[in-house]
Amino acid sequence: MTHAGKKTSREIKNVLIVEDDSWLANNHITIMTVSGYEAKAVSSSEAAIIQIDDKAPDVIVLDVMLEGGTAFALMHELQSYEDTARIPIILCSNIPGELLDHSALERYGVRIVLDKSTMRPYDLLSAVEQVKSGEPLS
Amino acid sequence: MSERGKSDALSSILATPLAPSLVAAAHELKAPLSLIRQLALTLEEADSLELPPLERERLVRRIVLSSERSLRLTDALTRQSRLEDGLFELQPLNLVQVAEEVAHELMPLAREAGRELRVAGSHVPLALANEELVRQVAFNLCENAINYSTEHRPITLKLSGLEHGYRVRLGVRDDGPKGFDGALATLARNLGKAPTDFNPRPHSSGLGLYVANKCAEAMNGSLGLIRHSHGSTFYLDLNASRQMEMFGV
Repeated sequence: MTHAGKKTSREIKNVLIVEDDSWLANNHITIMTVSGYEAKAVSSSEAAIIQIDDKAPDVIVLDVMLEGGTAFALMHELQSYEDTARIPIILCSNIPGELLDHSALERYGVRIVLDKSTMRPYDLLSAVEQVKSGEPLS
Repeated sequence: MSERGKSDALSSILATPLAPSLVAAAHELKAPLSLIRQLALTLEEADSLELPPLERERLVRRIVLSSERSLRLTDALTRQSRLEDGLFELQPLNLVQVAEEVAHELMPLAREAGRELRVAGSHVPLALANEELVRQVAFNLCENAINYSTEHRPITLKLSGLEHGYRVRLGVRDDGPKGFDGALATLARNLGKAPTDFNPRPHSSGLGLYVANKCAEAMNGSLGLIRHSHGSTFYLDLNASRQMEMFGV
């Protein structure tokens, strides 16, 4: 699957990547940027909240195990406010999907779960576009 | 909490007689392997992504460094299993030399992560230790510092004599957590504990510190943590070798 050079004119433009592995975060940013998105990465839940307060992203790509608290603390915080509760979340983790409670995740705004150990770099772009298009969740 | 209080709390944690599970080890390895895979796949797409040569070189470098990190982890696990057999002989060891070698080997990883490694300390008594185990501890403590310290600040391997030369300390001093104290607190809590069965982050299950602590114990030494106003020091304390005294040195 090749998406290189694909530009998007859709509403989703700003992607916040919450990932504490800076090299992986950098890789995500590269993929999203060359595809026409504006991507920014932070490494902790706390930094994510500050960033979201400053500028609400259109979608959040979220790792689960983070510095200073897990993704669940962040998702809980986001659900506490009407505006942030609407931000779609793509969970991107090494945790095997079968160990996650998908119905609970959906209540937290998680639209798609990506497995870092099996995904390909462009799967992140596909997930973002799937969220925007409103296609059925996976 | 006072330093003494912290030290006591740490001691109680270090006594935790648990072994790392295979599941924890598998998950510890999964994260760097996933990263290597992602970087390699991105490199494969370098043309379609129109990545400049410097970015391609960076990807290759990070793949190599992540592979080496994974290999060090497998070495640590193998070594940990050998600890139970008591196969490690103790002998007089120059910790400064070991620290310099470790710093040299880890420098590429540190620089890629935006850190600098330094060695400080001279005229330090010889330690009664095993070189392979000391190297393992130094590697683990340095990797923790690289992962958790502030970017663009130095990480110092500091050697010093303690208790009038009866003990020797190898400390790894960093200049503050890169994120929040919580990460460091978790590390401290995990020091010596068996790593959690399920934690996908490459450096957060505590496996590295657990192995380091087991190595320290195998040399009749101890592992500890000192918090500073900016940063922290994880240290390995060992008995000094008194062998030279027999010759009046």
